[in-house]
Amino acid sequence: MKPALRHPPLFKKEPPMQDTALTASKAVSLPWSRRLLRIAFPYLLIAPTLILVFIFTLYPAANAVIDSLYSIPRNAREAPVFVGLGNYADLFNPDHFIGATFTMVVGNTLFFAITSVLFSVPMSLGFALLLNQRMPLLGVWRFGIFYPALLPLIGAASIWAFLFSDTVGLINTVLRSLGGTPVNWLGDPNLVLISVTLVNIWKQAGYYMIFYLAGLQNIPRELYEAAALDGAHGWGMFSSITLPLLRRTTLFVLVVNFIFAFQTVEQLQALGQGNPGDRGTLLLYLIFKTIPERRNWGYVNAMTVILVLLLLSFTVANFFLFERGREDADA
Amino acid sequence: MRNMSDTAGRGMWLLTGAAAIIWMLPLIFAVLVSFRPQAEPVSIGNIFFGSRITLDNYAAAWNIAPWGWHYVNSILFVVGVLTVQIVTVTMAGYAFARLRFAGRGLLLVLILLQLMIPTAALLAQNFATIRTLGLYDTRWALMMPYWGSAFGVLLMRQTFRGVPLEFEEAARIDGASWWQIMRSVYIPLAFPAYIAFALVSISSHWNEFLWPFIVTRTEEVRPLTVGLNKLYSTTELGALYGQLMAGTLMVIAPLVVLFMLFQRRFLESFASSGLK
Repeated sequence: MKPALRHPPLFKKEPPMQDTALTASKAVSLPWSRRLLRIAFPYLLIAPTLILVFIFTLYPAANAVIDSLYSIPRNAREAPVFVGLGNYADLFNPDHFIGATFTMVVGNTLFFAITSVLFSVPMSLGFALLLNQRMPLLGVWRFGIFYPALLPLIGAASIWAFLFSDTVGLINTVLRSLGGTPVNWLGDPNLVLISVTLVNIWKQAGYYMIFYLAGLQNIPRELYEAAALDGAHGWGMFSSITLPLLRRTTLFVLVVNFIFAFQTVEQLQALGQGNPGDRGTLLLYLIFKTIPERRNWGYVNAMTVILVLLLLSFTVANFFLFERGREDADA
Repeated sequence: MRNMSDTAGRGMWLLTGAAAIIWMLPLIFAVLVSFRPQAEPVSIGNIFFGSRITLDNYAAAWNIAPWGWHYVNSILFVVGVLTVQIVTVTMAGYAFARLRFAGRGLLLVLILLQLMIPTAALLAQNFATIRTLGLYDTRWALMMPYWGSAFGVLLMRQTFRGVPLEFEEAARIDGASWWQIMRSVYIPLAFPAYIAFALVSISSHWNEFLWPFIVTRTEEVRPLTVGLNKLYSTTELGALYGQLMAGTLMVIAPLVVLFMLFQRRFLESFASSGLK
């Protein structure tokens, strides 16, 4: 069976560069203006991308580092004051107004990311195993599992806001009709983060499922046939063939899922906006909420730098895990 | 793939169906509530539609925000982003795939930094940049940060490398210019990659909320997701969930229909995307 789905690794080992027609040595005989154009040509091609990446990624990242070292004085007309790492110290000082919120929000974000990964990865594998069969209505079932991944976060959150609603919400209506006590899903400080995480698991499981589907379809059928001849079946086949061969997919899904969890915050806008008392707030959402507070610009940037450093370290870890995974696979 | 002829197969089918239906419950109830009279909670009347089926919620939701503008803006946003992206990633993708030049590796790494530092994380600084450029509250502000795409460059580079070099050489011997070679060789052969890239780009920007919310103020330049946020904040206090669900469905319908039509293409594109 031809694999229908495939996800190429982000960083592929490259074949050695071949000489192309454009670098042929006959350029020497051309007039200097043509030669200049020939030399400049590749740079002209990448210039638009490079300029855009500079304006919207490199410059703001560097500027965030600089701005995070300054504090805006009470009188906004005065120049910002250099405070060194003072803003960072405040962020990690639990007695400081921003530090108390920040440390809690980092905890929330880690809980959100880890719990999402712990639940959505096994679920997505389960869904992929189920949907990797020929069966009636397969398209419908696949749609049913995958569609949440296509919804805007704020749309998904609006639907769940109704399901979660305290009084007329669907979940509490069902609970009441079964004789249970209704639960304040978004109003209870101890529950709000769990509710937010629940929505994320529901939304992302279908997305990660497609990577497992792709991984499953890359496993050669002959392996299963050979194992069947050896008398393996069911769990034995799954644990000795499927799981080991999905190792790279699992690694990929784990890391991507984790990285995404740090950027997935828009749903909060319709799921209590981080309330009560920021118990449901996630890091990027805290940054978003603090932007309008001009005096806290230094904190906004310090938080941005921390978020970027976290994401960078995951991506670098991802890169090394993948390279190592590849070498294992090649050996 | 096994055939579903035995009882184990039937059990699998039931399990799959049950899981999919549970996953679909939020959507199903959103649809039901949107057609149910506003005053009737779920517990009253026919469990599915209450006492009657009505479009009142859609009418009420339609009147809360300038949805016509929101649709126009969302379409302009995704089309405006995609069009420029196609041009920039084609150019850079070709350069990195087929040309040799000093600093090639370093420049590629600089561009790839965009994958490692997602635009979303730089919300605050980019907001300041947009203000400095005098683009606050314009449609340009929505699109500009997404015009360059490291993911797209990587995808096109990989795709162009798969094109046999002989095709380009043959065209060159025939005297074709660079643009003619692109048009007759590379771009047609890379068509599936363009489709994949387009689907991922369109669906992620159609759903974008925080950035449009923060760089615009006037309703007439804001996209659907921001309109939905307004609908949420005006209906939530009154628990007017019928209206909220009607509005939510108006926003998500285009993508969901697109997905139903091209399910396979979508799944393949997303599987090859990994990172947006």
